[in-house]
Amino acid sequence: MTKAALKGLIQRQEFVLFAILVVICTVFTIITPLFLSAYNIGNLLKAVSMIVIVACGGTLLMMTANFDLSTGGNLIFSNIIFAMTCLAGVPVVLALGITILCGCAIGAINGTLVTRFAVTPFIATLGTWFVFKGIAKAITDNNEIKAGLPKSFDFLGQAQLGPVPMPVVVLVVIVVVFLFLERKTLLGKYSMAIGGNPTAAYLSGIDGNKIIFLLYTITGGLAGLAGSIAASRIGSGNPRMGDGFEFDVIIAIILGGTPLSGGRGTILGTLIGALIVAVIGSGLNMLGMLSFWQLVLKGVILLFAILLNEKLGK
Amino acid sequence: MIEDPAVQSTQSIRLSRILDAQKATLIGVIIAVFIFFTIFAPNFLNPQNLMFVILKVSTIIIVATAATLLMITGNFDLSVGSVLAFTGIMHAFMAKHGIPSGLSIVFAIGWGMLVGYLNGLTVARLKITPVIATLATMYIARGFAFLVARWDGGANISAGLPQDFSSFGRTMIGPLPLLAIIMIVLVAVFIFIERKTVFGRFIFAMGSNPDAARVSGINVPGIITSLYIITGAFAGLCGAIQTSRIGMGSPQNFRGFEFDVLIALILGGTSLKGGEGSIIGMVLGALIVGVVGNGLNLMNVSPHYQLVFNGGILVIAVMIYQGLGKKFQ
Amino acid sequence: MEEVIIDAKRLVKRFPGVVALTDISFQIRKNTVHCLVGENGAGKSTFIKILTGVYQADEGEILLNGKVHKPKNIRESRKAGITAIYQELNVVDDLTVEQNLSLGKEKHRWGIVQRISDLGKVASILKDLDPRIKLNQKVATLSVAQKQVIEIAKAISSDANIIVMDEPTAAISEEEVRRLFEIIQGLKQQRVTVIYISHRLSEIFEIGDYVTVFRDGQMINTLAVEELNQNGRSQASVELVKMMLGKVLAEHYTPSDIDYQTKMLEAQNLTNNTLKKVSFDLHKGEILGFYGLVGSGKTETARVLYGLDPFEGKVIIKGKECRLGKVRDAIKAGITMIPEERRAEGIFGVLSIRENIPVMKMGNVLKNRVISRFKERNLALSYIQKLRVAARNEEQSVSFLSGGNQQKVVISKCLNSESKIFLMDEPTRGVDVGAKEEIHNIIRELSKEGCAIIVFSSELPEIVNLCDRIILMYEGEIRKVLKNHKDIDSEEIMHIITGGQWGAS
Repeated sequence: MTKAALKGLIQRQEFVLFAILVVICTVFTIITPLFLSAYNIGNLLKAVSMIVIVACGGTLLMMTANFDLSTGGNLIFSNIIFAMTCLAGVPVVLALGITILCGCAIGAINGTLVTRFAVTPFIATLGTWFVFKGIAKAITDNNEIKAGLPKSFDFLGQAQLGPVPMPVVVLVVIVVVFLFLERKTLLGKYSMAIGGNPTAAYLSGIDGNKIIFLLYTITGGLAGLAGSIAASRIGSGNPRMGDGFEFDVIIAIILGGTPLSGGRGTILGTLIGALIVAVIGSGLNMLGMLSFWQLVLKGVILLFAILLNEKLGK
Repeated sequence: MIEDPAVQSTQSIRLSRILDAQKATLIGVIIAVFIFFTIFAPNFLNPQNLMFVILKVSTIIIVATAATLLMITGNFDLSVGSVLAFTGIMHAFMAKHGIPSGLSIVFAIGWGMLVGYLNGLTVARLKITPVIATLATMYIARGFAFLVARWDGGANISAGLPQDFSSFGRTMIGPLPLLAIIMIVLVAVFIFIERKTVFGRFIFAMGSNPDAARVSGINVPGIITSLYIITGAFAGLCGAIQTSRIGMGSPQNFRGFEFDVLIALILGGTSLKGGEGSIIGMVLGALIVGVVGNGLNLMNVSPHYQLVFNGGILVIAVMIYQGLGKKFQ
Repeated sequence: MEEVIIDAKRLVKRFPGVVALTDISFQIRKNTVHCLVGENGAGKSTFIKILTGVYQADEGEILLNGKVHKPKNIRESRKAGITAIYQELNVVDDLTVEQNLSLGKEKHRWGIVQRISDLGKVASILKDLDPRIKLNQKVATLSVAQKQVIEIAKAISSDANIIVMDEPTAAISEEEVRRLFEIIQGLKQQRVTVIYISHRLSEIFEIGDYVTVFRDGQMINTLAVEELNQNGRSQASVELVKMMLGKVLAEHYTPSDIDYQTKMLEAQNLTNNTLKKVSFDLHKGEILGFYGLVGSGKTETARVLYGLDPFEGKVIIKGKECRLGKVRDAIKAGITMIPEERRAEGIFGVLSIRENIPVMKMGNVLKNRVISRFKERNLALSYIQKLRVAARNEEQSVSFLSGGNQQKVVISKCLNSESKIFLMDEPTRGVDVGAKEEIHNIIRELSKEGCAIIVFSSELPEIVNLCDRIILMYEGEIRKVLKNHKDIDSEEIMHIITGGQWGAS
């Protein structure tokens, strides 16, 4: 019995990924012992936190066979909104709430385009990406919003809860929430059903469009949260950041075992996938390799991840 | 109820093919836009500005000729912008290190073809969806562009280039720059391919029904791969020429170029699903993209609002074409 | 006699160009296993689609327990107690058994799901059906038969009192078939009526109580299986097939001019998952027919010869052994195929008739290596005329043509390839009578020109009126090869294609 269970465990994509992660970390640690330092790990987790926060929503979305390219534009936009509302004197907590709502609004636009107007997700979310990135840059004329921000602005991104940086705290909370959603709620189960067998889902009375709309909205809200954290980390609203964010999110999701065609996938897998990409990047940095190799590597990892998904899917 | 088996008179459809309502609308839009900017944009009709527009539009159209055929088969290429940057840098790099300009341009085209081959491999043979596959190559090409620049010692390659480096890119043939001439030639060639060649016919067939194409003996993976290679070659050519014209190879160039191409294609009526589209439509779409972008710049509209505009146009155009498609079912 | 649960009254269903159901009236009785048989396109699945709400009847009605049953979609039909289980199983592979069983019916609070113990009724139903299935197994790990069991359990627990099973034994092992039959017997005891669709006639006799025969959109007869069995099982099979196929006369058959010295194609021991050592020869000028019921291996043979599916064995074309790994190999060897599914594999819908026809041999419309619109037009017009294609003109998009006319375009496309060996898979399916005759004449003309044609068909009249030799298939094997003549014995044919031995009692 246990042997079969063990075999089942080994064949799961999360386990394979976790093993890969452990191997990579070990290799880097052997080469540079500094790799395992608290400082480095802290940095790593902070950088990964924003990607994973958004990717949690993105994972459930991709399980329904849809995806969201607008998260980067959403991130930039939210970044600016958070800064601007704080600048206007709104208390930070309230500003955060407003920003998340704006993010949800963007997600809702995506959801409407995809479910109500049958625009393919590629075009719909690409369009929103353009629009909101453009608005963010236009409002600020591509300049930072720095002067006059209250001290509390930095809390979300720079404070610590004991030894743990705030962004990582948020990351853990979100991951736990989404693990719960994935395993214990109808949202998680229905997401898998919609992508796995849309006919079966329909016949069981599930309203696919409603769920997809909800997931787009949630992902948008998460991008709002991530954008606020990003702004808070550097202490300013910066419209020039976030380049390629949406692709980092998608790479994490796909590497984590969620195929583009949906039906399968896990939050845990996405988390490990994001960590693998971040670890590789960080390790290569420490080895002194040019950061540009990461661009190349991301492309290669993406291809590798897709092929891996196909193989394990059979 | 069986219809009358006798065939009714066949109409002459040539004219209607060229000037159908959709293209007429696009032409109308271009004229309207042109007039608008003549009135409201300072220096719009200035010869220097028009030259600028021509150059921008030429690059889009050259790459989009191949991209149109590719999209008619139901595939597309998100890596073109990165390829342009990469081949541009390679051209500068090689010219700087002693390879004669002419030869390094040929190499640049070769690099483009290599990336195209990689795209063809992943999409047509490994059956990875084009969005992801060309996204991956986009990263890889852009990454290498940055790396080559850095290996050369700087953020971009601008110093140490041979004297004649810029002359090729700035060649004029009569009143028109080299890029424009190439564009005109390629458009003519590709209209011909689209309408009059077996290759063109097979592309439409593949886009309409890939399974039926296979059963009819069409080499589907081979054709898709060739189209990706051609797209890469054109990107390589443009990358080299543009870099030569500017006199500098920069890995930051051409960001977002693939989306200009995408918008030109969609405005022009080429459907993402495949089976429908035209080179002429693409040309009209590219003209709109180029003229509007230029006009807005002259009116001092922030380039960021142009992003907003592009996004909106993209979604609206797709929704309009989808809606029209349903109406005529 | 059991009560009537479904009463179909004069159902009519029309589609553009074809009448799918004409005046269907029959009754299904409660707690029985009622089988529907008939060839492809006979009307069984159209009837089921009306029953389950996918289609709405144009005329007539269905009474369910005495009340009018007119569901607008599948969900409404399910609410009325009718569930259909198809070959494309409606289970979500990546969810567990428990999750599948409760899909859409979870007990929840604020969107949070409750635990397994609350499954209650359906879990015990499943246990009775197949105790080996564990609730926390992923459905992907189950066999096809077990997935069917899940669907059955779901249907029962949602109080379905009619379960339709469409070809349930197609993908399961013999032992699993036995289990399924046990389950079906059990269903009857639980007051569930089963509508059973299968082309395997032996199954009808094993578990059926009643059988309704469809043919050409009509209800031919509804009988108790007992009645059929009066004169013995083998005679019962023949009776059934006679009803399914109707009267068959070979009146129009004229022998072709065959050159027996020239073998165009030799197939030796073709074997794969379905085929078992299929071997035969094809001669110049010959029209060879492959006949058998659905699933007997006809289409599989065609696809293997065209390079669409892998196989073991040898294929020799005009004396040379050929590798048929992909379609282009077959075309190069001189074979052309008219595929069974014209919409999926035959036509380029968006393109016009003119653009569809030359695709397999573009050389015919080229002038100086460039497509000549003039030549294309003439080619299209000549085929439109020759095959009497009903269209406004050659520019019409093929997707707007009726099924029969689409088939004519596909045939034109294949004729244009000018190859010498033709494989035609159901060449006149969905084509009206007049066009059928026209297509048959074209096939005879091809044979006169020295081509060799293999017709794979499930329509016996077509086979006996056209073919010189008839190869009878059953369960992937060639059972007999007959030389055709005007007085050919269709009873013998029917015996053989249902697995019987002719000559035995």
